[in-house]
Order: sequence, then structure tokens, then C-alpha cells
Amino acid sequence: MTAPELIALLPLLILALGATALLLAARGSVGRGWPLAVGSALALSAALSAVLLPSCVTEVGGMYSTGPYARFFIALWSLATAATLISSGPYLSRRRLPSGEYSALLLFAAAGMGLLSSAVSLSGIFLALEAFTLAFYVLIAFNKNCALGAEAGLKYLVPGGVAAGLLAFGMALLYAASGSLQLPAATAALTIGAPMQSVALAGLALLLAAFAFKLSLVPFHFWTPDVYQGAPAPVTGLLASGSKGAVTAALLTLTATLPAAPAPFKPALATLALLSMVVGTLCALAQSNVKRMLAYSSVVHMGFVLTGLLCWNHTGRTAALFYLVGYSIVTLGIFAVITSFSGEQEPQQLSDYRGLARRQPLRALALTVLLLALAGLPPTVGFMGKLAIFSAALAAGLPLLAVVGIVASLISVYFYLQPVIQMYMTPAPSAEAIEGHSSEYGIIALCLGLTLIFGLWPGPLLELIARLTP
Amino acid sequence: MIVPLNHILLVAAALFFMGLSCTLMRRNLVMILIGVEIMLNAAGLVLVAGSAFWQQLDGQLMIMLIMAVTAAEVAVALAMVVYLYGRTGTIDVNTFKDMQG
Repeated sequence: MTAPELIALLPLLILALGATALLLAARGSVGRGWPLAVGSALALSAALSAVLLPSCVTEVGGMYSTGPYARFFIALWSLATAATLISSGPYLSRRRLPSGEYSALLLFAAAGMGLLSSAVSLSGIFLALEAFTLAFYVLIAFNKNCALGAEAGLKYLVPGGVAAGLLAFGMALLYAASGSLQLPAATAALTIGAPMQSVALAGLALLLAAFAFKLSLVPFHFWTPDVYQGAPAPVTGLLASGSKGAVTAALLTLTATLPAAPAPFKPALATLALLSMVVGTLCALAQSNVKRMLAYSSVVHMGFVLTGLLCWNHTGRTAALFYLVGYSIVTLGIFAVITSFSGEQEPQQLSDYRGLARRQPLRALALTVLLLALAGLPPTVGFMGKLAIFSAALAAGLPLLAVVGIVASLISVYFYLQPVIQMYMTPAPSAEAIEGHSSEYGIIALCLGLTLIFGLWPGPLLELIARLTP
Repeated sequence: MIVPLNHILLVAAALFFMGLSCTLMRRNLVMILIGVEIMLNAAGLVLVAGSAFWQQLDGQLMIMLIMAVTAAEVAVALAMVVYLYGRTGTIDVNTFKDMQG
């Protein structure tokens, strides 16, 4: 590997080597704060180097791009990881969890997510996907004192294994049909009249199923609510934003290299999007557990993002990416609030939110605004994202998806308002208030601020995303 | 290539579906993990066959990488099996159903 390639990979090297060093240096670090500080400093420096350091090469080893698209996502996931690390200090020390291993695993996951977003070959996609999935297997079951954590870990492990098998076999079939693992060349075997088109189509279908597992699109979503409920709240935040976002970024690269959608591919994706929006909304309505409700809401939101990708043009992909960035910010904020509300137990049931507005007015207000952003009310980034996606879908001739999406967002206001009603309208029980830490307040304020800023002035971010979308 | 590519694809597809059905039907966690390994091996077979068919090395390189990933995955998954067994005394996945709804 040459020096320019190493420099191009510097942000990812900082994450991966930093995580390894942290793992060695911080053994048995229960109740210490410094590994989290070092971890967030590493993640921030990775984000800085991704933004500031120009790359002299366009790709490394034919597997990973180092272009602006890749750099943008590496910076985004590094920042998301840094935010998660900063806000989870009190959560870890209250539960006596080892912060060194926690920081190292989160950094490994960030490196994997960054790699997945920059993958330009099927082999790159497979390796990066497994890299961050392995870190999440451990992170989800990280709280050994919690029985639900173990069960959640199991319920992520089995679908993760199936998805790995589907992805590997799909990739192998595409390779056998095309003779290349690089993305534009590998998908060239899908064009009509190519010698082994049927083999390539089978490969693409398996690849799509693997992506659907990771994005938890209906009918591959059954693991999502259990994993969300059992995993530690900060980990769930990163799982919901970063891991799904990175998979979407890879799916976007894949769809952008397909010149025109192969005949059965587009209806299949449209069905997945439609089912996700309808089933996700209906299931979320029935939940009394806030984390399970957020799990089903993530199913619906991935349906919206998929609608953007299905427009099959630059406007649609830009809208999908904008929505993804907004959704990640809002989700990180919501889970930061849930993390900061956690005492010995996480507040999961709706009844746990009774009267919180009187005892913790600032965080209750933040949670209200962030939930309304998920519902897509102005002036938040959620509204601008939905506007962009649905107008792109209508312009691209997908009226059914757009109408179902709009109806789903209207219905979703009902279940997003449930915790808000509990916080503001019901009397408080006598339980003592959980004081928030200043780091938690900082992250919540940052996410809230970005939600409102991008909702009021979406122009600069939209222009940036439009420039780097392939 | 002496063996036609189609024949290898058929064998690999059979192997893959055996692994997939093992993963979906068996309730023992270790058998589920073995099913995943069989699926990954089917992918490896196709990669090697494709590599021979197209007379290039990419597929063979990829199978080495898949082996390494599989080893890492098995290490994590078996650690999980030991942890779950220590917690509940069973590795039957049907016993893990505290979360519903």
C-alpha cells in the first residue's frame, strides 16, 4: 500500500487503530470516564481529518472510494459516534459497565460504517457490513446485568448471520455472472441480453434481501423491536442512525450504478417500501413501549428513504440522503434524551413518562420537538426531508408511494404524540427526578439545534448533498 | 474448466438452501450457526468456480477474506452461545421470548 493511499485512509485508520489501542490500554475500566473522552476525541479527529485532509487518490484497492461522498459519511458517522460516546458516560457508570471496551467497540463500529458508506465493490460491502455488525453483536448484549440484553443480542445475531449468508451468496452469484466484484462492472451482467442474466438477477435478489434485513424493511423487520427494546439506549441510538444510514449509503451507491432498473428490481423495491410504510405504521400504533414504537417508526422511515431511492434520478437520491441525515440527527437526539432519563431502569413504558414536563421541563421540551420532527411537522428537518422525498416521488411518477407515505406520516402524529401527552397532561408520580449530566444536555441541545436549523435553512445542506450524491 | 459452471452453481444452490433451511428451522443455536457457515461455504464454492471460469484471481482473494470474516464471526457468536448458556442453562432459541408485542 502506497503513502497516498494510507493518507486517504487516515480517518478510518484513526478509528480502527485508535480503537485497538484503547482496547489494550483500558482493560477493566469500570466507572472511569477517560476512555470515553479519549474515544470521542479519536472520533472527532477522524471526522476532522475526513473533512480537512484532501485525498490524492480516488479509490483504495478498487474496493473503497475516497471521494467526497465517502468522506461526508465517514465524518457523519464519526460525529454520531462521538455524540454517543459523550452522552453515555453517566449511563455506563450507573450500571457499572466497562467504558474502555464500550468506547473501543463503538469506534470499531464507526470504522465499519465509514467503510460501508465508501464501498465501491461487492467485496468492500461485505467486509464493511460484517465489520460493524460484529461490533454491534457485542454492544447490544453489553449490559450483562440485564436479561433482555442477552435476548436482544441473540435476536440480532441470528438475522445477522442469515443476512451475511444471503449477502455472500448474492455477491458470489453476481461475480460468477459478470467476472468482476467492482460495482459498475458487476451490475453490467444485469442488462438484458447479457449471457448469464438470470444468475445475476438471482444474485441481486439475494443482495437486496440482505440489505432489507439490515434496514429492517417489512417482511425482514421482525428482529427490530426486540433488539431496540433490549439494547442499551445509547447503542440503540447509534444502531438506528448509523448502521441503517451506512447500509442505505451502500444501497444508494449500488442503485446509482444501475443504469436503468432491471425489470423485476424496481417493483420488488417498491413493494418493500410500501409494506414498510403500511405495516410499520400499523404496528407502531399498537405499542405501549416507547423503544418498540421507535423501532417500528424506523421501519416506516426506511420506507420513506427507499421511496427517495426509487425515483431513480439524482433529485430522488439527494432527497433520500437529506432525509437520512435529518433522521440520524433526530434519532440520536431522542435516544440521548432517553439515555439521560435512565436511572437504574430505562424509561420504556409510556407510563414512565408521566409528568416529566414538570420535573424536567428542558429535556421534556427537547423530546417533544424531536418527536414532532420524526412526525414531520414544520419547522423541523423532518418536514423538509419529507417535502423533498414526496415531491421527488411525485415528479418521478410514483404517486402511490407518495400518497401512502403522506397518509402514513399523518397517522404517525398520533403515536409520536403519546409520550408528549404523558409528559404534559398527566400528573407526576412521586418518584424522584433523575438529574441530567452537562454532557448529556450538550448533546441533546446540539441535536435539537441542528434539527431546527436544518428545518429553517435546509438550503446549504441540500446543496452540499446534491453536489456529492452520485 | 472441466466441470461446467452450471453444475457448480446447482450444487452451490443446493448447499445454500440446505444451510438456509437449517438456519430457519433448527431451534438449537449451535445448529443455526452451522447453517450460516454452510451458506457462507456455498458462496465460497461459487466464488472459486467463478474465478476459474473467468480466469482471474478476484474470487479466490475474496474467499480468503470470507474465511477470515467467518472465523471472527464464529468467535463472537460462540462467545454469545457460552454467555446465553451461562445465563439460562439452555441454547434453545425458543426459550428466549421475554419480549413480545
